[in-house]
Amino acid sequence: MGEALKRIEIPIALTIIATLLQVIPYYFDIPVLKDAAGTASNGVLLIVACATFVGVISILQVHGKRVQRRVEGWYFSVLVFVFVIIMVLTGLPLAEFGLGRNNSIFNWVFTNIQTPLGGTMYSILAFFITSAAVRAFKARNIEAAIVLVSGTLMVMGNAPIFTSPVPVMVDISLWIRNVPNMATMRGVMIGAALGAVALAVRTLMGIERGYLRGGGEE
Amino acid sequence: MFPIVQSLFKDEYYILKQNKYFTEKRRLLKMAFLIQGRIFGLICLLFIMAAVAYYIKQAQEGKVPKVRRIPGIDAIDEAIGRAVEMGRPVFCSHGIANLRDATSGPQTIAGLSVLNYVAKRSVNVGARIVVPVRQPEVWPIASDIVETEYKLAGRGEEFDPDSVQFLSSEQFGFSSNYMGLMMREKPGANIMVGAYWAESLQLAETGSRIGAMQITGTANTHQIPFFLVTSDYCLIGEEIYSAGAYLTNDATLIASLAGQDVGRIVAVVLSLLGAITFTMGSRILLDLFAM
Repeated sequence: MGEALKRIEIPIALTIIATLLQVIPYYFDIPVLKDAAGTASNGVLLIVACATFVGVISILQVHGKRVQRRVEGWYFSVLVFVFVIIMVLTGLPLAEFGLGRNNSIFNWVFTNIQTPLGGTMYSILAFFITSAAVRAFKARNIEAAIVLVSGTLMVMGNAPIFTSPVPVMVDISLWIRNVPNMATMRGVMIGAALGAVALAVRTLMGIERGYLRGGGEE
Repeated sequence: MFPIVQSLFKDEYYILKQNKYFTEKRRLLKMAFLIQGRIFGLICLLFIMAAVAYYIKQAQEGKVPKVRRIPGIDAIDEAIGRAVEMGRPVFCSHGIANLRDATSGPQTIAGLSVLNYVAKRSVNVGARIVVPVRQPEVWPIASDIVETEYKLAGRGEEFDPDSVQFLSSEQFGFSSNYMGLMMREKPGANIMVGAYWAESLQLAETGSRIGAMQITGTANTHQIPFFLVTSDYCLIGEEIYSAGAYLTNDATLIASLAGQDVGRIVAVVLSLLGAITFTMGSRILLDLFAM
């Protein structure tokens, strides 16, 4: 029985059934399949909710070993431990004990630590963009030269110091954005969408096995 | 099944009991009708499926289509080899999306296919692989993929469970953790194929600063420019979906790419027809799409 459950056909069959269960009700109005698809989606949400604990366990395992072995920067792992425990305990859905979303400690950590840290990480993107732009704006070949020229025109078209004396810069930058850029973007998007459909078809037919362990080899 | 049918078609069930079979059959056909506005999509899907099936059959008969070289995918072996020579680990990420989303889920599947290959090659050449994970539900799959490659190579005991790390389900918690890992571990190769958003530039730029050979790929159009300027090789859009087939060199998978190309030709023809007919004031294609 144990060996039978390890057979690769099982996940492939489950994938095909799950895919059909979502695809058929999308095109056909069959109430019984629609209900089954809804039930399957709810099941997926349950699996995802359970998987969150798997994530927490992984974090605790990794950081626990770091603390145990006193590796460089182990005290940061202690901080991870402390905040995981604080957030899990204060965030428990037990409103009658003052825990959960409205708990003051939970909210304080979320508002004053997590949100600013996330905002900081997002804002440093500006510096990354600058350093990436310096690298990109080097006319090493024809393609790079096109990027350099169009990028410069886009910057100029968005800066009042250029658009005020030369108003046509706005039109030029808009044209670059709306014509060549849009055409390229749509081409990539159509190609990517078709690629995703082909991947779905391969999955539906059971021939795409790369996501399975060992590439789906027996 | 029978009680379900019975409850669904209650009236007809009684008719059936009265041996009025044809009334029942007509009613069943009427119940299972197509949803308005999705008929053309279904036709397109069936057409692409038929094309894929046709080319797979051709491949089984020995007519395998040729695939153009994709430098980014070809460079994976080179990147892993470079990491081994430098004595540094290989980082491989399958993106930050889950498997459920309709647009980003397929990218994660494509990323996992690439991870499969990278893990196989890394194990074979003795490179240490590190897989940073954002989505808890993808973590067991990624972990299983890497562990299985060690077992297939007969070195299951060498698998380090900490090499496939769940970092954080928060987008920027993940990216800061990933960047920190890169700065500490200094990977020789950083392979990122999957769905990425704002963190794409942070990760790729950090990889570039530490001198890692980078192979990136995403179908999120707004992140492609960031990957292009910071990576050594970049897979653009659909190339990431082809990566699995390309890497396995499996005849049926490669044949399915040819079927995908038929879909692309149809899309181009429809785009041109749409542009022409709409310019001429006709709504024929719009009506067809709304069918």
